[in-house]
Amino acid sequence: MKIVLVSSFVPFVDGGGRFIVEWLERKLLEHGHEVERIYLPFVEDPRDMFAQMVAYRLIDLTESCDRLIAFRPPSYMLRHPCKILWFIHHFRFYYDLWNTEYRPVPDSVSGRAIRETVLAADNATLGEARHIFTNSRTVSDRLRQFNGIDSEVLYPPLRDPERFRCDGYGDEIVCVSRIEHHKRQHLLIEALSHTKTPVKLRLCGVSSSGLYGSELEELTHRLGLDERVIIEYRWITEEEKIDRIAPALAVAYAPLDEDSYGYPSLEGSHANKAILTTTDSGGVTELVTDSINGYICAPQPQALAEGMDRLFRDKTRTSAMGRAAYQRILDLGITWDNVIQKLLT
Amino acid sequence: MKVLVLNNMVPFLRGGAEALADEIVRRLNATKGIQAELVRIPFKWEPVERLIDEILICRTMRLYNTDLMIGLKFPAYLVPHTRKRLWLLHQFRQAYDLWDTEQSNIPKTPPGHEIRQAVIEADNRCFPDCEKILATRLVANRLLHYNGFYAEIMMAPLNDPELFIGGDYGSYVFCGGRINAGKRQHLLVEAMRFTRSNIRLVVAGPADSPADAARLQELVERYNLNDRVYLDLGFLPRERIAKYVNEALACAYLPVDEDSVGYVTMEAFSAAKTMLTVSDSGGLLDLVRDGDTGLVVQPDPESLAAAIDRLASNRAATIEMGKQGRLRWSGMNVTWPATIERLLG
Repeated sequence: MKIVLVSSFVPFVDGGGRFIVEWLERKLLEHGHEVERIYLPFVEDPRDMFAQMVAYRLIDLTESCDRLIAFRPPSYMLRHPCKILWFIHHFRFYYDLWNTEYRPVPDSVSGRAIRETVLAADNATLGEARHIFTNSRTVSDRLRQFNGIDSEVLYPPLRDPERFRCDGYGDEIVCVSRIEHHKRQHLLIEALSHTKTPVKLRLCGVSSSGLYGSELEELTHRLGLDERVIIEYRWITEEEKIDRIAPALAVAYAPLDEDSYGYPSLEGSHANKAILTTTDSGGVTELVTDSINGYICAPQPQALAEGMDRLFRDKTRTSAMGRAAYQRILDLGITWDNVIQKLLT
Repeated sequence: MKVLVLNNMVPFLRGGAEALADEIVRRLNATKGIQAELVRIPFKWEPVERLIDEILICRTMRLYNTDLMIGLKFPAYLVPHTRKRLWLLHQFRQAYDLWDTEQSNIPKTPPGHEIRQAVIEADNRCFPDCEKILATRLVANRLLHYNGFYAEIMMAPLNDPELFIGGDYGSYVFCGGRINAGKRQHLLVEAMRFTRSNIRLVVAGPADSPADAARLQELVERYNLNDRVYLDLGFLPRERIAKYVNEALACAYLPVDEDSVGYVTMEAFSAAKTMLTVSDSGGLLDLVRDGDTGLVVQPDPESLAAAIDRLASNRAATIEMGKQGRLRWSGMNVTWPATIERLLG
């Protein structure tokens, strides 16, 4: 089958929004399909974003492929008789973040008109899709709530999940993720200071600004945790990531209200590790059931500390939860074979 | 510095310009302090009214997080950016020289004139804002003739000069490149009827159409040249082409009025092989000088046969001309480091 994958992108910025496209591209090629990946620029600026949407709309790929799969907004504004969406997020500032400090225009007559136009353009073009898949229940819920559109959750797998392995259960709780304030590594460090066991914490990843990284180092020092917190503040290769997670006691991932379950939780699950998270982490709680394949704690240091101590004290149970985490992936059908079968049917 | 390269694309079609665009990005990324990425904007020029939409699409796109844009083809180079340079591979020739020679897809009707004018105006509004325009001499001449803008002359280097390092001088003349009537491989095959020396001809490359391949095969059969002419037709690995060049006594290339020196000549001279060509081959004649770096003869089988005999009977002179070719070519400094320096300088 000839398949075009189309998404919007920010030049020189990598992230989940690209991985899902590029990993799918590779898997489709492995399955013998012809694939073109098209990334189009888009600047979410209220002054001219509608003009850019029109440009997207004018692009004509109707006769170029058997199937068009669209991802980030507003790539689904392209027309195609067989348009499939793997919808990963809205223009969130005009949706769930409208009533927050992130609102990009004033809540005035003209600001509301911009918002209504975004919704109208979305409704019209989303409605053309033959089928809409999302990457999480959260995103599906928003489509229902804001656009009145039904969708199906299709969880994105890791690129090469079979490479993750488990070398037993040591003393470190590992968190490999971008080091950003909303990923709340600081909360994990604060929690560690309340633990009663000698459990350790390893944080690995890069950051968009150096500031938060230095804050974490300072916090660690201030709390006297230099011996128990290891911060690898740099780009971590896939091999390094696998090697850090393999001997871990468990993985931790406690972002603030994330849309999807997050690749860190998925990576931990593939390595048979229990997942430590918080009640307000959003999509992560779609994957984790408390005390089954991890612990879901209140987002307070004391509560997380208790979870960390439990992971450390009862390793028999921790390892059983790790195995349950892997089983959970299989039960949810988070595999490329499943994804490709769904997207191409 | 973040450098974004913009090119057109037609889904599932790849040619020389696509390979060049990839190579530019690869070479830029290998340059200290440079991050580069390629954006490919879908382009469709049929029906001709599409051209208006295509211009609008590109002029409406916005770039973000980009320090420098390098545009390659119409209409992708119309995307606005405050710091724009062009490596002008093509304007939309149907609005320019092909319009003049009645080879345009734009009809000479009132709407056709308007569409053509829109293309020219879009170009004329884009070029003054460019920091720099680089092009081959032919493209630069057209730009000056039709739009009144100057371009600096720049040739595209070989993508893989490291493959064309030369070797022993064998007992065959090699002719590479795409195979079609305009490249006149058939004249070389016919010439082999008249040669007296013990030399062979190897023709290798992809035929544009089955008829182009059949023409050569039929000649070989008709004149019973199976022992002396070897046809290796199809898309061949670059390593195989390089081996043919590196082990040849000399190379031959007979295009009709070629735009530029051509990759075939660049490969031959890189490998210190002399070049046999004809008096109406166009851009090659800048580099191939009769009796100095190669042989230039009339485009007929008898003249070509005499030249081939001369190459075979005086090997020392043939090898010496090949070395002169290499000297002359390397003196032009058409290399990737020099090219990147000019693009960024």
